[in-house]
Amino acid sequence: MTSRERVLGWVAGLGLTAGFVMAFGVAPREATQGNVQRIMYLHVPAILVAYLAFGVVLVASVIYLWGRAAGADRLAHASAEVGVVFTSINIATGAIWGKPTWGTWWTWDARLTSVSIMFVIYLAYLLLRAMIEDHERAARFAAVLGIVAALDIPLVHFSVYWWRTLHQPATLLRPGSTPMDPPFVLALIVNLVAFVLLYGYFVAKRVRLLRQEQEVLA
Amino acid sequence: MPDNWSFVLAAYGLAALVLGGYWRRLLRRERELAARERRRGAARDEPRPAHAPPGPPIPRR
Repeated sequence: MTSRERVLGWVAGLGLTAGFVMAFGVAPREATQGNVQRIMYLHVPAILVAYLAFGVVLVASVIYLWGRAAGADRLAHASAEVGVVFTSINIATGAIWGKPTWGTWWTWDARLTSVSIMFVIYLAYLLLRAMIEDHERAARFAAVLGIVAALDIPLVHFSVYWWRTLHQPATLLRPGSTPMDPPFVLALIVNLVAFVLLYGYFVAKRVRLLRQEQEVLA
Repeated sequence: MPDNWSFVLAAYGLAALVLGGYWRRLLRRERELAARERRRGAARDEPRPAHAPPGPPIPRR
């Protein structure tokens, strides 16, 4: 483990602790939903970090196709993997929140369906990489899929505006000011920063491991 | 509305399991690669056996 990774890991750990304290110690009990609303401090940062991860896949894939930079390919691979982890947290925590709030674990709502499609697309991206033995070919095909798959990100985000959905509109990434009170926003932002740091730690570690795997196999 | 603490606990527990599981997977892969690198290094540094003299091998008792 490099010293940069170690520092990032510790900072991410501190960020997660701060986020936990904010979610349970500072943010008040929400008047309508009760304490179950505290799940939002996981659910919302998880999807925002997944957007970030898949955005990085898009940019790194374009860079790879442009100049065949092996580093860009490794970054795309690592970021897709970590993005899938955060998307799975988003879907699972959403279902757990949905049961007491909506009365159901799952519904074929536009937002829920489009997020699930995004999850499956990036799983397919990882599967594609694993299935092709020729590394250069796998990287090229994955880069094309990484660019095409990114088309689903705006579809997920704007689905709540384009279709009539049970899912509420965005609370942070929206035009104008947020309808939430400051303590709720602060708890959400601290958790978002913690998740971004954790994303950075995971990606840095995974990129290094991918480089080592390629050196060992060479 | 009831507080549904069990749902809150389930969500945070599941998230901790997923993130912890992924972290452990990375650590395990890191250890595997380090062990493989050590084996490669040891094989490289091992002295080569002296050239065997021609002729049939001497039977051992």
